[in-house]
Amino acid sequence: MAIDAAHPVPPNLPRRVGMDQVPDHVPPELIRTAGITFGPDFLKAPHDFMAAMHEDYPPLFYDVSPFGNMWTAIKHEDALFVLRHPDIFSNEGATPFPRDPDDYFYFIPIEIDPPHHRKYRNIVDPTFSPKGVLKLEGLIRQRAKDLLDEFADKGECEFTTEFGRPLPVSVFLDIMGLPQDMRDTFVSWAVDLLHSNDREIMGRSMRSITEYLKQAIAEKKAHPDDGVVSLIANSAPDGVPLSDKEIFGFVCFLFIGGLDTVFATLNNVWLYLAEHPEKVREIIARPDDIDKVVEELLRRWSVTFSGRVLAQDYEMRGVKMKAGDRITCLLPACNFDPEVFPNPKEVDFDRPRKTILAFTVGVHSCMGAHLARLEVKIALQEWLKRVPQFALKPGAHIEYRPGGVVGPEHLPLVW
Amino acid sequence: MPKVTYIEHDGRSQVFDVPLGENVMRGALYNGVEGIVGECGGGLSCATCHCYVDEAWTGRVGGPSSQAEEELLESAAAEVKPNSRLSCQIEMTEALDGLVVHLPETQY
Repeated sequence: MAIDAAHPVPPNLPRRVGMDQVPDHVPPELIRTAGITFGPDFLKAPHDFMAAMHEDYPPLFYDVSPFGNMWTAIKHEDALFVLRHPDIFSNEGATPFPRDPDDYFYFIPIEIDPPHHRKYRNIVDPTFSPKGVLKLEGLIRQRAKDLLDEFADKGECEFTTEFGRPLPVSVFLDIMGLPQDMRDTFVSWAVDLLHSNDREIMGRSMRSITEYLKQAIAEKKAHPDDGVVSLIANSAPDGVPLSDKEIFGFVCFLFIGGLDTVFATLNNVWLYLAEHPEKVREIIARPDDIDKVVEELLRRWSVTFSGRVLAQDYEMRGVKMKAGDRITCLLPACNFDPEVFPNPKEVDFDRPRKTILAFTVGVHSCMGAHLARLEVKIALQEWLKRVPQFALKPGAHIEYRPGGVVGPEHLPLVW
Repeated sequence: MPKVTYIEHDGRSQVFDVPLGENVMRGALYNGVEGIVGECGGGLSCATCHCYVDEAWTGRVGGPSSQAEEELLESAAAEVKPNSRLSCQIEMTEALDGLVVHLPETQY
């Protein structure tokens, strides 16, 4: 079902919700109501919950939820297979993010499967490659230092608002070629859109984002620069300029995909470190192993999930799934698969290098992965220079809210 | 611009220009070479850009450039041989102009 990215139409795929809409081909013994992203047991300690699923759940089960019923894969091996076979497990129509049906657009490139996928990736890959992002190292370091200057001497901070959120947004604005004075506005748009759980607030935020990005795209078309918005707006793969719908879908996707995931990763990692001073000392004592440190922290604290729609009937682990069924790879659970990562909840910087699923795999593998790694690395390095010892503020209440990206809502720290 | 010859598992051979400073994996992706997947984009986290360096070039290319590459190669899907490398870790230099790499049957 190849789609035309220049002429987007809303997908016409069945969306099944609740126990009344479990299709007949689902074996009753595989039906669960896990409450992923919203159940009280999940929200109490999401990563512990997902690690324990390897004992309490079948490796592939059918999760029934008010947010949509779907097959759920928790084995590392199964996630690799699903994510690496876009011909069977398609991304087209799999992104749950609601859009205005009268002004529909695709999120690019995530909703575009091969063969057209690579056309878009080739536009931005040089910027987001390991070498490409290294050019940003000095800038990211400076942004981190500037933020630390604001609070490092105060002995405390609210990590999410003073560091975890503004750092990735600053870096994003730099890369996109958008002005830094938009930082706090972008943070509030992202928070409203992704954390408000209020459709009216979400809609208002989406309208503000749309209006701003459309104006920014028009400006970059008129006055090209070396930022990514300009790069996309003025690109012409195989000599054909991208359409307005493609440009907007691409830029908008970078906003949605690139901000909240990094916020949540930093917030998770800093919460863990605040409670594990021995790991902080180990990181400080092993400066040359920082890349291993980052990789292991990304494995232990993965933040999101990856959904697909079956493009054909397919049997996996003896389970017969049907075309049109939805499936999600529960990436944090897959990163806790004890067959691949023994003693999975232990943070061990000396694990042998294996494929982690923080960024998925396959053609849709996260294009911001190298940027995310670099941001986490620099954030750790700069923070630990200024604040080498820190702890959770006594009496702090750690709360997780329902949503597609998992991380603590607030994180008060003291030192 | 230096050239790289990619020989697919079935024997098909293709020659492409790969800019100096780019790596052999990227050269394959830009040109649609089927035998290289390179899904992580060169982050040393996937082992899906596995290649066999042609015997005539192993001396100039050398072995794995890091412990991470060595460890990841162990999880490559196809047989790992003494001339196995992750192509994202082979950066093009003038000295590698004319490089020949053979691609494995599968990357998964």
